[in-house]
Amino acid sequence: MPFFGEVFSSEIIKKTVLDPKGEDLGRVRDLVIIKGDPLPKVSALIIERKKKSYYLPWHDLNIFNKKIISSRVYAESLKSYEMIGDDLLILRDILDKQIVDANGAKVVRVNDIKLEGYHNEAVLIAVDVGMRGILRRLGMERGGEDLAKLFKKSLPFNLISWDYLQPLEPKLTEISLTIPRQMLSELHPADIADIISSVSQKDGATFFNNLDIETAAEALSELKPEMQADIISAMDTEKAADIIEEMPPDEAADVLSDLTTERAKEILEHIEKEEAEDIQELLGHEEDTAGGLMTTDFIAYPPDMTVMEATEKFKTDAREAENVYYIYLVDKEEKLRGVASLRELLLAENDCHLADIMETNLKTVAPGEDEMVVAGIISKYNLLALPVVDENGYMHGIITVDDIIDLLLPPEAKKKRRRV
Amino acid sequence: MKLWKNILFFLSVMGPGIITANIDNDASGITTYSVAGARFGYGLLWTLLPTTIALVVIQETIARMGVITGKGLSDLIRENFGVKMAFFMMLGLFVANFGNTVANLAGWAASMEILGFSKFVMVPVGAISIWILVTRGSYRFVEKILLFACLLYFGYVISGFMAKPDWGPVMKNAFIPQMRMQELWNAEYVVLSIAIIGTTITPWMQFYLQSSIAEKGIKKEQYKASRLDVIIGCFITDIVSFFIIVTCGALLFPHGIRINEASEAAIALKPLAGEYAYLVFSVCLANASLLGAIIVPLATAYYVCEAMGWEAGINKTFKEAPQFMWIYTMTIVLASLVILIPGAPLVFLMVLSAVINGLLLPFVLVFALLLVNNRKLMGEYTNSRTYNYISWATIITIIILTSFLVVTTFIPLNG
Repeated sequence: MPFFGEVFSSEIIKKTVLDPKGEDLGRVRDLVIIKGDPLPKVSALIIERKKKSYYLPWHDLNIFNKKIISSRVYAESLKSYEMIGDDLLILRDILDKQIVDANGAKVVRVNDIKLEGYHNEAVLIAVDVGMRGILRRLGMERGGEDLAKLFKKSLPFNLISWDYLQPLEPKLTEISLTIPRQMLSELHPADIADIISSVSQKDGATFFNNLDIETAAEALSELKPEMQADIISAMDTEKAADIIEEMPPDEAADVLSDLTTERAKEILEHIEKEEAEDIQELLGHEEDTAGGLMTTDFIAYPPDMTVMEATEKFKTDAREAENVYYIYLVDKEEKLRGVASLRELLLAENDCHLADIMETNLKTVAPGEDEMVVAGIISKYNLLALPVVDENGYMHGIITVDDIIDLLLPPEAKKKRRRV
Repeated sequence: MKLWKNILFFLSVMGPGIITANIDNDASGITTYSVAGARFGYGLLWTLLPTTIALVVIQETIARMGVITGKGLSDLIRENFGVKMAFFMMLGLFVANFGNTVANLAGWAASMEILGFSKFVMVPVGAISIWILVTRGSYRFVEKILLFACLLYFGYVISGFMAKPDWGPVMKNAFIPQMRMQELWNAEYVVLSIAIIGTTITPWMQFYLQSSIAEKGIKKEQYKASRLDVIIGCFITDIVSFFIIVTCGALLFPHGIRINEASEAAIALKPLAGEYAYLVFSVCLANASLLGAIIVPLATAYYVCEAMGWEAGINKTFKEAPQFMWIYTMTIVLASLVILIPGAPLVFLMVLSAVINGLLLPFVLVFALLLVNNRKLMGEYTNSRTYNYISWATIITIIILTSFLVVTTFIPLNG
């Protein structure tokens, strides 16, 4: 049964259904909803004929739109229907129900439901929570529009996409959002990431296009690798490059490593040269090794620099760097000599040299070291970051604690994290 | 020991029923009783007993729904009768409650004027203090203040005793209607007796009572205590009404003093019963008016927010429940302006609100009765058959009487 375009539930309810001869078959009383992929869909119409309810399956419909609903079957072949069953019904179970946010705070009620044609099925695309929905139910949408026009305003469409609603069950008393009530832009990137994980790939990409680059970059780093790749692949190259560029090099490399080689190359070409080189270097490492985890973005000064010079320079460098709590002392040959914490730097006398305050006995890992070993060291010595140094003493980058925190969490805690 | 435990338990649940019923005696209620006492003496006392029974039946139904469903009445109306009913009822209630708020602030202004304060100072002072109370206070705090303020109603009881009525006729009139044929045909008598029911059973109090029970979060196990709260409240409110009628009937009626306003009663009492009765009447009126000006806008705010699904509650802040707080705020601000602007259509607003209240009441009561008998919502707590008979009889009587009141507003009887 072909159905294109969109329609609101209020435009369907109480509409007359015609049989193949154009005779009156009954009026729509309710719509039965079943789970579908990606969205719930209409499986049947409940029609009322002579005060009795009948079940009209979706595939028996011939035309379904807001003007005409007609069926392929005659009245004799209709099956009768009991309204007390466990089916999920639009009018009885969804319309007018309270919507609460992820924290249980009341937000609004379901004023109307929007259906859209998708592969010849009518899927539930969104709930209308605005004044428009109420006016439509009252049969005054036009009047409302005209009134708004008088005041040189337009009636807004307040729709909540079905993706942000928790799965529905029959006999529910309220419907939960998957997000808190605050506007999406006020959400923490990690929360945005959680929402994205629960919506379809196409929606995820559209969603990302609407975020500012900075938020998008942060949210993207919080996503699972497959998801990151999906979303970046679906975006246009220019925008994807902007987002990747905004990410710390190690995370950018992780995202790119999951893409196809051509796609990754394409994006890298759109990224500033210096940044691209860093990422390229990181791409050379295996993903689950220290080299694959590390970022090349760290603060490194020569040991003979004075504390005063270092503090001044730090003020500009710290704006860009991901981790600022350790200052690495690297000599002219790029060999790691020692480390000074930010605290030590701030507490030291201005005319001291960095070499005087640095810690020389430091923990390092080789680029090829396994990620679990890295996690073990960071956890054992309570470090915020761990330098990656090769056999020649060259410093390649650092691994920060947030890169391995997920490895340290027990599996239950990870699950819990999704819920908070 | 068990007794003490029970009393403590009751005290924790007590509140919504007593407050709702007491504040039912707001400015317009007190006016009606004062006018009735001054015009017909003890002649209308008998109406109080049936009114109390009707009030108990209805309030108990509403309270039970609040306890069992944990939702407000307007939540249930929207979810079970759809957006059309909820929306039109919302419009009606909005106007009617606005009129009630104006009436209450007018009562506050009038009582302040007779106590010698300018209304231009006291209306803003009153409005701001009740605004701060609700927007800043928690539910528990507001409830305590309201309960405490309800104690002031006992002033009427004291003044009733101080009026030294002849208790024989008072009691006789209270239980046996002493109607003579000429009174039955007296339009004023009929209208006033219906008005007593009209001011006692109002739409807003059903919404306020159920919402406040839901907000307080009273559980099924506490239901018996909650019912006691409602029944005590209904009896207190009508005992207070009784003493208002008795006071005016004993002091004003014999002198043939006719009044139209509750504040006029206070002034008229001064030369007859002295400074004390005058003070009691004006202070109690001020108190009752201000309480009404808190509860009625709250009822509107609860109703609208529940119907639309917005967050609501006294416990919430402006940020958590912006619509709720704004509706409360704007109702008080606009009502205060209507009082203060000279030439604003005060009388028109109050008549309009009485008419709309009369039109809404049948719907509210019928919905309530349909809902309370819905097994899906109420489970085993639906009405028993006998209780349903009583409820329907009560509701049908009220509907007939209030529609009569509405009709006579448009076509006054000659009398």
